[in-house]
Amino acid sequence: MLLDFALPAHDRKLIPEGRLSGPMPWVIAIMLFLTLLIAAMGLSLAYAIRNGGDDLAQQATVQIIEPDPIERATQKVAVSRVLRELPEIADVNSVPDGEVRNLLKPWLGNDVIDADIPVPALIDIRFKKAPDGATIRALKRRLEPVAPKIRIDSHSSWMAPFFDLMSSLIFLTFAIFLLLLIATSAVVILAVRSTLNTHRGTIEIMHMMGGTDLQAARLFQRRVALDALLGGVVGFGAAAAVILTLGGRIAAVEPALLADASLPWYGWLILAIIPLAVMGLAMLMARWTVVSALKKML
Amino acid sequence: MSFLRAGYLACPPCIWRVFELMQSVVEFDNVGLRYGTGAETLTDLSFTLYPGSFYFLTGASGAGKTSLLKLLYLAHRPSRGAIRMFGHDAITLPRDRLPGFRRRIGVVFQDFRLVPHLSTFDNIALPLRIAGIQEKDLRSPVTEMLDWIGLTERADARPATLSGGEQQRVAIARAVIGRPEMLVADEPTGNVDPEMARRLLQLFAALNKLGTTVVVATHDIHLLQEIEGAQMMRLDKGRLSDPTGSLRHPPRPLVLKN
Repeated sequence: MLLDFALPAHDRKLIPEGRLSGPMPWVIAIMLFLTLLIAAMGLSLAYAIRNGGDDLAQQATVQIIEPDPIERATQKVAVSRVLRELPEIADVNSVPDGEVRNLLKPWLGNDVIDADIPVPALIDIRFKKAPDGATIRALKRRLEPVAPKIRIDSHSSWMAPFFDLMSSLIFLTFAIFLLLLIATSAVVILAVRSTLNTHRGTIEIMHMMGGTDLQAARLFQRRVALDALLGGVVGFGAAAAVILTLGGRIAAVEPALLADASLPWYGWLILAIIPLAVMGLAMLMARWTVVSALKKML
Repeated sequence: MSFLRAGYLACPPCIWRVFELMQSVVEFDNVGLRYGTGAETLTDLSFTLYPGSFYFLTGASGAGKTSLLKLLYLAHRPSRGAIRMFGHDAITLPRDRLPGFRRRIGVVFQDFRLVPHLSTFDNIALPLRIAGIQEKDLRSPVTEMLDWIGLTERADARPATLSGGEQQRVAIARAVIGRPEMLVADEPTGNVDPEMARRLLQLFAALNKLGTTVVVATHDIHLLQEIEGAQMMRLDKGRLSDPTGSLRHPPRPLVLKN
């Protein structure tokens, strides 16, 4: 393929350069810009789910709903001790009562919270791996002898619809990515066919002089490759500018889950490979189109 | 060699036939050509072209000269019959082997068919470049050819800026630059003055002396007198007549008349 790209200067003259270039690089640039944006979106979502999502799914909150504050405090200590001894628990963080009351202030108001109303004791725990329903139920059974009025909220349970939505969006971005690649291939095929028709006379003369199908195909491959390269550079530049700008704004947004939706380093690598892959795809499409068309000639 | 297995050596006439097959450049056997569902353009053509021979193909307009030439330079396959070319069956020849055969044939098209965006030099060099000749090796023969056809000064000119006669000379130079084994020319002197026509015929004759089989389609009956030993194939409504009776016999040595 690389050798096909490096045509001697005199062979390049057989298909004038001004014909295929023109709208073609710009169309490829636009298609690639959209392809890269959708790829970046898919990669960021996947990264966010893998990082933030997995982290959240491993977490759970243990609530001790005991009205008596002294008994609640005693149970909190006892539950914390049991939790620290369990091998499936990676981390136990007993949330101070003051912090819990601060969390409730926006909903209940300062006056109500400062009054002596019962507020559940909270213990944040992190499992070594995301727990399923059976694990949560087993944990509850284990803790009930120590604290009968206990409730365990697994974050994965309330995150599940969100993860489903994210997974659907990732599939959607992948489908759009494939559609854009198909559309780019179709654009290349149409452009090559148009150019082939324009230069049919030259190709026929080459054929009559013993030129092979691949010799003709190489002429088109090179032109298409150059157009795709130019379009790729423009498309990548524009897409990178948009991704960096949006990335900066997303990073400034709370909560932290959105901050995880940034493009990782390997995402940039994949984005850089896409224009090169599209160039290779365009060259293959050009070769296939020309060879298929020429096979109809004797 | 399939003809050995076919028992051709069983009798002396058959041995002569085997010799003929080995010697012929082109052999047509009962060939017919039909475009689409129309009437046959060429009918029952049977003839043999020998190496180093010179043929004029004549006939009225519409007689089928260009169609016959298209069969000779492998632009069409016949509707029926058999064609052997350079010792191979040209009908069943796989498509991927056609380029190799076409490189052995030089063609002068009636409408020249020069590549419009290439210079005179590049048009003439095209067959050599297609054949993979290195740039350093083709500069000398192309320059020599440009000198021969008197267009050295126009080496960088595009075909659109050349006169009809100049374009025809470029087309001829392009056809002969690769020293083809067979040269097929369709009205090659139609647009040039008599002196240039004679020079071009001398070029054809010189190539012919080097062993190239030449087939020239022409309306100009006077050209036939220019080359002694040349044979005439006459097409009449798609059928071949052989007024010199030479198509089925080895050709006489060629002499260019002064």
